Amino acid sequence: MLHGVGALGLGAALAACASEEDPGPGGPTGSVGAPAETFAEPTRKISGELKILLWSHFVPSHDTWFDKFCADWGGKTGVKVTVDHIDQAQITTRLAAEISAGQGHDLVQFIACLSSFEEGVLDLKDVTDEAVKRHGPQLELCRKSSLNPKTGKFYAYSPGWVPDPGNYRKTLWSGVGLPNGPSTWDELLTGGTEIMKSKNIQMGLGMSQEIDSNMVLRALMWSFGSSIQDASEKVVINSDQTVAAVEYMAKLFKQTMTNEVFSWNAASNNQGLVAGKLSYAVNSISAYRTAQGTAPEVADDIHFVSALRGTQGALAAQHVMYNWVVPKHAKNADAAKEFLLHYTTNYAAATYASKLYDFCAWDKLTPNLNAWLASDPFGSKPSDKLKLLADGTKWSTNIGHPGPASPAEGEVFSTFIIPNMFAKAARGELTAKQAVTEAEGLITPIFAKWRARGLVGG
Amino acid sequence: MRTRVADRDGALAWIFLMPSVVYILALVGVPFVLAVGLAFSDVTSGDPSFDFVGVDNFRSIFDDPVFWQSLGNTFLFTAISMLLIVVLGKIVANILVADFRGKWVVRFLVLLPWTTPATLGAVAWLWLLDSIYSPIDWVLRQLGFLAEAGNGSNMYWLGEPALAMASVIAVHVWRLTPLAAVIMMAGLVAIPKDMDEAARMDGAGYWRRMFEVTIPMTMPVIAVSALFGAIFTFTDMAVVDVLTNGGPNNATQVLTSWAFFRGIDGGDVGQGAAIALFLFPLLLAAAIAILRAVRRLEVR
Repeated sequence: MLHGVGALGLGAALAACASEEDPGPGGPTGSVGAPAETFAEPTRKISGELKILLWSHFVPSHDTWFDKFCADWGGKTGVKVTVDHIDQAQITTRLAAEISAGQGHDLVQFIACLSSFEEGVLDLKDVTDEAVKRHGPQLELCRKSSLNPKTGKFYAYSPGWVPDPGNYRKTLWSGVGLPNGPSTWDELLTGGTEIMKSKNIQMGLGMSQEIDSNMVLRALMWSFGSSIQDASEKVVINSDQTVAAVEYMAKLFKQTMTNEVFSWNAASNNQGLVAGKLSYAVNSISAYRTAQGTAPEVADDIHFVSALRGTQGALAAQHVMYNWVVPKHAKNADAAKEFLLHYTTNYAAATYASKLYDFCAWDKLTPNLNAWLASDPFGSKPSDKLKLLADGTKWSTNIGHPGPASPAEGEVFSTFIIPNMFAKAARGELTAKQAVTEAEGLITPIFAKWRARGLVGG
Repeated sequence: MRTRVADRDGALAWIFLMPSVVYILALVGVPFVLAVGLAFSDVTSGDPSFDFVGVDNFRSIFDDPVFWQSLGNTFLFTAISMLLIVVLGKIVANILVADFRGKWVVRFLVLLPWTTPATLGAVAWLWLLDSIYSPIDWVLRQLGFLAEAGNGSNMYWLGEPALAMASVIAVHVWRLTPLAAVIMMAGLVAIPKDMDEAARMDGAGYWRRMFEVTIPMTMPVIAVSALFGAIFTFTDMAVVDVLTNGGPNNATQVLTSWAFFRGIDGGDVGQGAAIALFLFPLLLAAAIAILRAVRRLEVR
């Protein structure tokens, strides 16, 4: 069906190698050290083999830690654990192939919602309930990214996520009277315009067919009171608020950006930021960690702000949402579930090993997180520049907000309808109203299709 | 006397053919039949159970404007690529059959794009066309065609719809021209030398010999290379996937990439298969027509 599948696989691998930058070297520099790991006997008898498939983390030190963590757990429980890391861009293709073949890994992790796989995976309500029993309420955005309220099924288990703050160049924004960076979309427009005029350095918000554009443009919509669906999963994108958000972006583009933002891939804003070519971008801390290793002077100048305030609030999308699924074909589901509970209990070690990239769905499981963020053990200058991430849960939400993540939201995401809606208006190909109407025309059948399958409410 | 297998032409032919037949059946035939089935099913990435839905998937994709945009892009991409591949392939083939020092080095270099995995080549081009670091832009800047800084200092090859399509076509032509050249080179060296010499003796110049002897004599191989070029172009998504992901605004979206985004990333395998198969009848008809034309040319 698709010619050159092998070549495509390699392509995906290579493209995804470039999808984010590897954070540079640099071990802990003090502060509160790596947390000790704990082990509790599994609640059920487990044995045999457990095959885990997960992404190659953007922070390589995480994978080193994770592999040893699995081996240690396997040694203590008598389960033979096999861990396969592959590029994140290949995970959904691989999972689809394994579900279709009815064989493969027992446990699969991805960095976004796997809602479209609901019918092919086990309900992980028992794992989620047990984790809640042990650790208290789960973070709402993780819950909404793993539970389908229509079917009541936990198609995934979500123990962690990654925030998506604004990254800004302090020297540039100090020059326009905003040394602490923009805090509203209006300030972003006025400050960004001035920087573009005086320094010829552009804004870094993509309107391209890639993941970061999808994220930041949803954040803009939410902050303007707009969304694709409402809480009950009805399509509500065609609203005055969406039109206002699209008009704002068109203005921001004209005053602060170049056509470059239509050509971006997932690595582009990272590269632009590290190269010192962008005044502001929305991304996880991975670009900053890269700069720490490759361009320390740029890294020192990169600071962070929380979600920008719009007319109706201040929200950002999560940058990464960890979804663990147990396919129906899994031969050792019990071991998979026990492993997930053990992994969750030790999430502080995962956060540390990822250089504060991964955040836990249970605050109490990372008791030192605020101390680490207030005094970065990985060499930030000043050491407290990540401090604002401590309240990241207050300004972060799930894809699908104010409703849940769903297969329909996933397909809208994968077919880049939102970035194209903004881009068409920004390029002047359509008016804001026409672009929104066109997007609605593309989104409605997608929701109808998944609703007909019983996977989407509304 | 008992004949050995090695002496029986028929048996030997099948033995030699069998690996290819098995390969084609297993890796082309079976997936193809599977894809036809999927196109008429409601299979999703999470639910492989087969439920027949008739032509619903085709009805849905026909209602999707991105599908029609992708179809138009596919034809444009293929038509321009094929034309350039055939013309450039012929030129390169003429160069490669000529006698000059360093011919083998030139042949090696010309063949490199074809022997390099498609995606590796595309990743290299991704950097060449990068919005910030493009060396092509740098050269244009040094030559004074682009501004030193600010607006107009970059082409944004992959950010402008027309330039993005031109880039995708250029990379594809770069990849496939060596294949066409090698096929045509085989045709050129097969032309009897005395024909060319006879034409020379009759006073035919270079262009006359080219259009009245060489091209007619190599027309069957030109048709075959055009067929290869068309099929490889119609069915390729690696270049689009790496360079543009179908953007900007689906300006470089082709049927194969759209099938992938819809079917695998989007989870609707049935629709993805319907999109991927849409051109099959057309491609089959085109392939049969070209091969028949080649046969007629050979008979003549």
